[in-house]
Amino acid sequence: MTERHDRPTVDIEEVLVRYMVEQRLSRRDLLERIAKVGAYAALAPIIAACTGSGASAAPSAAPSSAPPPSTAPTPTPAPTPVPSPESELFVYNWTDYIGEKTIPDFEKKYGIKVTYDFFSNTDEAYAKLGDDGGGYDVSFPISVDIPAFVAKGALLELDKSLLPNIVNLGAEWANPGYDPDNAHSVPYMWWTTGVGYDTTKIKGTPTSSKALWDESYAKHISMLDDWQEAFGMALIQLGYSANTTDTGQLDEALALLQKQKPLVRVYSTDTIGTLSSGDVWIGQIWGADTYAIQGENENVVFYLPEEGAVRGSDTMAIFSGAKHPIAAHLFIDYMLDAKVSAANTNFIYYMGPNEAAKEFIDPAILGDPALNPEQAIISKLQELLDLGQTVRDEYLSRWQTLRGG
Amino acid sequence: MADAPDARRIGPVVGTASLAGAEPRASLGNRLAGAVLLVPGVAWLTLFFVVPLAMIFVVSLGSRDALDRVVLDQLSLDNYRRAFDPTFLPTFLNSLRYAAATTVLSLAIGYPIAYWISRYGGRHKALLLVLVMLPFWTSYLIRTYAWMIILRDNGVANWALQAVGLTNEPLILLNTDFSVILGMTYGFLPFAILPLYVSIDRLDPALVAAARDLYANGRAAFLRVTLPLTMPGIVAATILTFIPAIGDFVTPDLLGGAETTTIAKVIQELFLEGRDWPFGAALGFLLMVITLGGTLIALRPLRTEVVGA
Repeated sequence: MTERHDRPTVDIEEVLVRYMVEQRLSRRDLLERIAKVGAYAALAPIIAACTGSGASAAPSAAPSSAPPPSTAPTPTPAPTPVPSPESELFVYNWTDYIGEKTIPDFEKKYGIKVTYDFFSNTDEAYAKLGDDGGGYDVSFPISVDIPAFVAKGALLELDKSLLPNIVNLGAEWANPGYDPDNAHSVPYMWWTTGVGYDTTKIKGTPTSSKALWDESYAKHISMLDDWQEAFGMALIQLGYSANTTDTGQLDEALALLQKQKPLVRVYSTDTIGTLSSGDVWIGQIWGADTYAIQGENENVVFYLPEEGAVRGSDTMAIFSGAKHPIAAHLFIDYMLDAKVSAANTNFIYYMGPNEAAKEFIDPAILGDPALNPEQAIISKLQELLDLGQTVRDEYLSRWQTLRGG
Repeated sequence: MADAPDARRIGPVVGTASLAGAEPRASLGNRLAGAVLLVPGVAWLTLFFVVPLAMIFVVSLGSRDALDRVVLDQLSLDNYRRAFDPTFLPTFLNSLRYAAATTVLSLAIGYPIAYWISRYGGRHKALLLVLVMLPFWTSYLIRTYAWMIILRDNGVANWALQAVGLTNEPLILLNTDFSVILGMTYGFLPFAILPLYVSIDRLDPALVAAARDLYANGRAAFLRVTLPLTMPGIVAATILTFIPAIGDFVTPDLLGGAETTTIAKVIQELFLEGRDWPFGAALGFLLMVITLGGTLIALRPLRTEVVGA
């Protein structure tokens, strides 16, 4: 609590939630109590807790006083008891995808012991998570995959009363297409797919994705080895939706990509390797890789094509087999805190959807168009969707035609 | 020669079954003991080859539900029908082309090396064989990355070519057919050299000497004596390079480019991004059948020589 932001409203809300959790009160109980005894009387103990000794008194932050997981009988009778947060939490995230102090601070603050494991690709992660989380409470699936997880019943519906910080999300993230109302997931970080090029090899400053079709760069162009990204870029260049289900438009996109293929050096997701080695002069890249590429080759710059581009995001979700759901909610809420979110961004160089965090984010990141594009371009970004089996097969068969032919 | 037993030890492992025919008839007790000794090998093959292959086959007959899970309630050959779609023909031919080129090159490079070690290695034979296997001490992935560094536009090879004055600007070596075949040949060469060495080393030099006595020139002696008698080694080397080469995923993925897609890559994509296990299984099973069929055909003309029956 000590390092949290100073704005009192949010602080009180946070303490309120923690108080409710501690007292095993639900939000409805509190409202009922307010109705019966009046607001002041109902809130008095909480306000006292807030104003009293500030930081450490109110929450049961000391690890020693952390309640044992759920078994202890409640002294306070409550009609719909909310269990107190469990003393453990199992989190499964991408490698290097969180602030360096985020987890230790969370542990210190709530007295919850976090087992934090990481993965480097979704194949590995999703296999381990299975249909119920495979022992993990919280993980970070890509937004595109949320519908499939929800359909499998793999995700717990989020209890928004335990996520007061969700108000920190920017308006455009309140109701994303992949998960209406953020019912099962909360956006964590987002990125864009654009073009990176070596300024010593490319003439002028390209602004369109058509630069990737420029014959004077033949055999020094790369595209991502990812059917949805490659087709997404072609479709957007043609003025269509990156998630089109129209096979006629897909055929046009295929023709466009086939025209490009003889110029392409390699289809690869290792853009850090190809652009820094000098083999590729201009390539489709994930914006978030720009920093890593510049670390190897400082002449590489990034832009989002004026036609529009693809945006992707990772989410935080609680899995259906979670043994520590309350601690999991507490963790997600903590991650939604403005300062925590900003600290994560400042460490990993990804923009989050957290509007309230912006004032704490490093100005260098906020000012970098690769990470935080201008509003005019943001409005042209399209999030990739899970298109379902039939449409996916239409994309994939054309992708195989492109790659094989 | 102190190293001779070492060299010979490779024989029965990699080599052929021709020894079996020469063995005296075994008694019942010996045969029982032999059967017992076979158990671990058979169990291993069953557990890690037959069972997975059967699983792949069963999955390949299935279909997917709406959530991409494999469903086996209506088995059909639909996936095999899809596999013969002309879309996959160029990819499959690509894989065949790489595997064939790798095999031919491995034999062409490996045979003289094996021959030289066997005939002129002298007391250094064991050391030379260790040198052949030395690359295995480093991860294959790391060695392939090393090729990327050598072959790229600003790499060692292009630097050398320009330093010598053969080229003025970088040649595109990486991400081409050339780099894929080079990488695969490099990777599979030891698998060719070892069986070739075994069969060449077992060839009695007196036979070649006899041919020369009968007025065969060097070429004729090689073509009519050495080559036919080392054919079992050549077949073993072919099988040991061709089979892994046709299914190789790592080398084309790292050293290949836009035009070098292989069937292994397509299978990987179907399983992971396409979430189409039944179709991926069908392609994988077909690849396996074609490889096994090809192996059997390759072995056929040699059966009398190799197996001895």
